[in-house]
Amino acid sequence: MAQTTHTDSVNYSGNIIGSFNNTFYKSDEDAQIMRWLSRLEPNNRRQSGRADRFGGIGDWFLETSEFREWRRGEGGADKAVLFCSGNPGVGKTYLT
Amino acid sequence: MWLTAKNPSSRVIDSLCDQTRGGNIALAGLYCDFLSEQEDTITNMIGTILKQLVGRGGIPSDVREVFLAGKRKFGGRGPLLVDLMQMLRTTIVSLPQVFICIDGLDECLREHLPDLLQSLRDLVRESPGTRILLTGRPHDGAAIQRYFGEVITIPIGLNPDEIRNYLDMRLDGDGEPDVMDNNLRADIVGTILDKMSDM
Repeated sequence: MAQTTHTDSVNYSGNIIGSFNNTFYKSDEDAQIMRWLSRLEPNNRRQSGRADRFGGIGDWFLETSEFREWRRGEGGADKAVLFCSGNPGVGKTYLT
Repeated sequence: MWLTAKNPSSRVIDSLCDQTRGGNIALAGLYCDFLSEQEDTITNMIGTILKQLVGRGGIPSDVREVFLAGKRKFGGRGPLLVDLMQMLRTTIVSLPQVFICIDGLDECLREHLPDLLQSLRDLVRESPGTRILLTGRPHDGAAIQRYFGEVITIPIGLNPDEIRNYLDMRLDGDGEPDVMDNNLRADIVGTILDKMSDM
């Protein structure tokens, strides 16, 4: 796994920890631990580009009061879950 | 069901990344896809979430200890769900704010859904600041409510205005402008909008 290092992705997200682009391990043991936790490798965010390249589609979603409230992280456990409900093909994966 | 780490490009993920410069957040995402042949389990889902959260800041010592203990005792078997949940709890507590996105609940095998929702509920109870984004079909709402009570729901539908704007943008960039005229353009847009309204 150490050989799949994407050093260019390290600078990309500023203060965002972990997540999608962290195939960057300090030692063989670290790589073993990561493989032990899950066989899945995170997708590399750099390669996928940004979703907003399609001219503002989905802006309405980000502007809903529901999303904004959820995003702020206030309101504790009662407001922890946001459910995006829709039939297949309407764009849930693109939005979220 | 096969499980992949979620496609990292989406409006919400982009927005979380943009809006939080200067503040720390951690993101983990899963995409459930039952079309794949490989079977997967709640253990792998939780392991994949944990893997995404422990990456950048260095592997936490408790995770390393559980790994090494398992290696000594059992010759390197996979982690148990109970251990993964404990490690995930301590990892989440150590992070400023954690967002977990799980896309495609409707593609998560029915027998795994209760375990998944219960695990997420346990995490939220322990760390109430954790934010969880779920996507699924409308009928998945009932299962989610059983675990979380009333949840904030945003219905996602097709928006004809957005589709029209997008088609205009793509047609403007058409590689063969000579064969395009207003009639063909209207035909293309009309046909696509018709098909969309059937979805």
